[in-house]
Amino acid sequence: MKSYFSLTVLALFLPATMLCYQLMPRRLRWLVLLAASYIFFWSISGKLLVFLLISTGTIWLAGIGLDRLLRERASRLRAPGANRRDIKRRYARYMRFVLAAGLVVNLSMLFAFKYLSFAQRLLAPLATPLLAHAGITFPQEAVALAAPIGISFYTLQAVSYLIDVHRQSISADRNPARLALFLSFFPLIMEGPICRYGDTAQALWAGRPITAENISRGGMRILWGLAKKVIVADRVNLLVKTVFEQYGSYDGGVIALAAVLYTVQLYCDFSGTMDFVMGCGRIFGVTLPENFKQPYLSRTASEFWQRWHITLGTWFRDYVFYPLSLSKPVKRLTSAARKAFGNRMGPLAASGVALLAVWLGNGLWHGAGGQYVLFGLFWFVAIWIGGLTEPFAQALCERLRIDRASMPYRVLQHVRTLAIIFVGELIFRAQGGSAALGMLGKLLGGFTLESFANGTVLGLGMDAADFVCVGIAVAVIVAVGILRERGVSLTTWFWSHNAVTWSAAVCALAIIAVIFGAYGAGYVPVDPMYASF
Amino acid sequence: MDAILDILNELNPDVDYRDRTDLVDSRTLDSLTIITLVSELEDAFDITIPAVEVVPANFNSLEGMWKMVERMRESGL
Repeated sequence: MKSYFSLTVLALFLPATMLCYQLMPRRLRWLVLLAASYIFFWSISGKLLVFLLISTGTIWLAGIGLDRLLRERASRLRAPGANRRDIKRRYARYMRFVLAAGLVVNLSMLFAFKYLSFAQRLLAPLATPLLAHAGITFPQEAVALAAPIGISFYTLQAVSYLIDVHRQSISADRNPARLALFLSFFPLIMEGPICRYGDTAQALWAGRPITAENISRGGMRILWGLAKKVIVADRVNLLVKTVFEQYGSYDGGVIALAAVLYTVQLYCDFSGTMDFVMGCGRIFGVTLPENFKQPYLSRTASEFWQRWHITLGTWFRDYVFYPLSLSKPVKRLTSAARKAFGNRMGPLAASGVALLAVWLGNGLWHGAGGQYVLFGLFWFVAIWIGGLTEPFAQALCERLRIDRASMPYRVLQHVRTLAIIFVGELIFRAQGGSAALGMLGKLLGGFTLESFANGTVLGLGMDAADFVCVGIAVAVIVAVGILRERGVSLTTWFWSHNAVTWSAAVCALAIIAVIFGAYGAGYVPVDPMYASF
Repeated sequence: MDAILDILNELNPDVDYRDRTDLVDSRTLDSLTIITLVSELEDAFDITIPAVEVVPANFNSLEGMWKMVERMRESGL
C-alpha cells in the first residue's frame, strides 16, 4: 500500500474499512478508523509503528500534564489571599517545562530520522580532526535510518496540538486512543494536510453514517485526483527524471522545459493525492482542510504560498512566524527599524528575521539537503523583497497612473509569479545544492531552443502525443480551477442534475483516465512525491 | 475605531475596511502586513498583542480588531 492510488487501497482496503465502519454501532465507528489507520501504517512502516506510538503517548501525557497544571493554577488563584502574580509566574514556568519536554521528545525523533545523516556530513570536516586529537574516531559511514511513514506530517500535527493546549485554545484530550486517531488517520498520514485538532478531531470520532451522496461525491473527487496523477504526473515522469538526473547533458532550453514539467507534475501528483484525501474524508463524513486553492493563479510569491501546500504555510505562520515576530528581541529590533526606516518599512524589515527562520524551516522540513536550504532561501528572498518593494510599487503605479487591477498588469504579475515558481521548483527537485546551482547556471548561461528545433526533446521520454495530452489536461485543470475560483463547482453542478447525468460524468472521467493514463511499457509511474518528505 | 481605520488606510488605501469581514480569509491582509499592523496597533493604543491573539477572527474585520484592542486594554497587556 505504498500509494493511495494502488489497487490494494482502492479495491480492497478502502471498501473493507467502509464496510466495517458502517456495520459498527455509531459510537464505536472511530475505533474502526483507528484500527484501519494503524494497519495502513504497519503495512508501510512495519515495526517503526513504535515511534508513532511514542509520539502519541508523549504528546498525550504532556497534554494531560498541561491540563492538570491549568486546573491547579485556577484553583490556587481562587484561594483567598492568593498571591496571583506569583502563582501565575510559577505555573507559567511549569507549563513551559512540560511543553518543552513534549516538543523536545517529538522533534528529536524527527531530527534523528531526517537530519542525522545531513548533520553528520556537515560536521565531519570539523569534528573528525578535533575528535582525533582526543583519540576518538568520528563515524565516517553515513548514518541512514528508515523513517516511519508520515513522520514529518504527524509530528507537526502533534506539535500544533500541544502548543494549542498550552495556549488554551483547545482542551487536552483525556482519551489517548482518540488522540491516536487524530495523529494517524490513514488518509492524512502519508502527505497531510496538516490538520489542527480544534478543526478536525471532533469529526473523526463523530461516526457519521456513510451516505450515498458522500460516497458519490467523495468517489468523484478521488477519481479526479487519480486522473490528474495517471494522465499528467506519471506521463511527464520519465522526462523529468532523465533531465534532472543528468542535467549536464542538456542545454538551458531543455532544463527550462523540465522545470516547467516538474512543477506541473508536482502539482498534479500532490494535489491529486489531496483529492484522494478529501474524497476519503468526505466518505467518512470528515471535512479536511484544503491544501491547494488554484496556486497557478497567484499574482505574487506570497499569494502562491497562501494557495500551495496551505496547511504547511499556515503551520509555519502560526507556530513560527507570529511567535518569533512578536517575541521581545524581534520587537526591540522592530522598534529600532521603525526609527531607522519609518512606520511602514521598519516592521517589514524587522520581520525578515522571522521570515528567514520560517523559510529555512520550510526548506529543511522537506528534507536534509543543500537544495532544500537553497529552496527556502529562494522563497525567503522572493517573499521578503516582494513585501519590501510593495509600497514603492504602489507609489510608482500611482505616479505613472497604472491601474493595478487592469488586465495587462495582472497578466504581467501572473507571468512573473509563474517564472518565480518554476525556478523555485527547479531548485527543489535538483539532486543536491550544487546541482541546483549548476542547473540555474545552464538556464541563465546556456539557454537555447536548439533541442526543440532539432527534435531532441521528443527523445527524452515524451513523444509529440504525450506533449499534446499533457497540454490538453493542463488546460482542462486550469479551466476547472478558474471556474472554482469563480465559485462554480462542476461536481455540485453535475450532482444537482439527475442520476443519469451524474453517472455519465463519473463514467466519462473514469474512461478518460483509463484511455489517457500513462501506464504500461514506456512509462515509469511516479511514487507519491510528498510521502518521502 | 477610527484610529484603527487610519492605520489600515495607511497600509492599503484601496480597501473598504468598514464593510469587510474577510480581510484575512480573502488574503487582503497577509502575514507581513499583519505584523506591521500589530506593531502600529501596539504603538497607537499602548498595548501588547501576544502571538496567540493573531488569529483570523481578530483581524478579519475592523470590529474584530477593535474588540481585540479593547480586550488587550482591559487585561492591561
